[in-house]
Amino acid sequence: MAIAEELNTILGRMRTSVPELSAALVATTDGLPIAHSLNSGDANRLAAMAATALGLGRRICESFGGGGFRETSVSGDEGQMYIYSAGPKAVLGVVARAGANVGLIHLEARDAASQVAQMLERR
Amino acid sequence: MNETTIKILVAGPCGAGKTTFIRTLSQSPVVNTDVPCSTANRATTVAMDFGQLSLDRYTIHLFGAPGQDRFEFTWEVLLEGALGVLLLVSGNDATHFPQVRRISDYLLSRNPVPLVVGVTHQDHPNCWDCKEVASYLDLDPTEVIPIDATNLESASELLVRLFDLVERA
Repeated sequence: MAIAEELNTILGRMRTSVPELSAALVATTDGLPIAHSLNSGDANRLAAMAATALGLGRRICESFGGGGFRETSVSGDEGQMYIYSAGPKAVLGVVARAGANVGLIHLEARDAASQVAQMLERR
Repeated sequence: MNETTIKILVAGPCGAGKTTFIRTLSQSPVVNTDVPCSTANRATTVAMDFGQLSLDRYTIHLFGAPGQDRFEFTWEVLLEGALGVLLLVSGNDATHFPQVRRISDYLLSRNPVPLVVGVTHQDHPNCWDCKEVASYLDLDPTEVIPIDATNLESASELLVRLFDLVERA
């Protein structure tokens, strides 16, 4: 199975488990989208931003002795985005409206991120 | 930031040597956000580089921006409060020149600050002449100088050139 196809399966499964998500994407750590499932918005732009947040998050983590970076979030009045490290080469980003069940999002997205990491590791 | 702290933005296309330039000049460990590039066999910056140095009575903060167009949203963020822009371009690859123009238009339309251009990769046999680069970018030839991003003296020269412009402005 092609990489994008396999990743789309992971994203699709996550979106089925968390219907509140309005977007999910996997990008390379240098900001290119590999797989995405968006209701609206520009995948290229979101991928670049996810990579920037990840890059910055990693350095922030290092500077306060937080160890390996795991995730970061951006919350607005109307929506929120969570960005997860998915192995050394990829980043997973998910978007939901404000008030969505954060616990459920984290539960499913962390799982998806580790699946993405494992899948890319095998390649 | 107090008066003697000066923020400078280091911009330019991918592979121009922005990260190297900041590493050469910085007197403190550089904060960088390099990751392996998926389209070329080297590293690329995704968020920013940050280095600092003291020059005379000034503390200079150097903020390096990522080169690819897809990161242009970071340019605007990093440009805020900057007193000047150092634009680096690799002199051996004319295909990057249009992007240099685009970057300089993008930055100066948002914050018209002094800007100087450093042409890197001077050791390359096909490196373009600074005069030609200046004429392409519609800049005064004194604002475009050849530099070696790995050499402290050469890199400082670009900074000094920018300071001359900032003082005159």
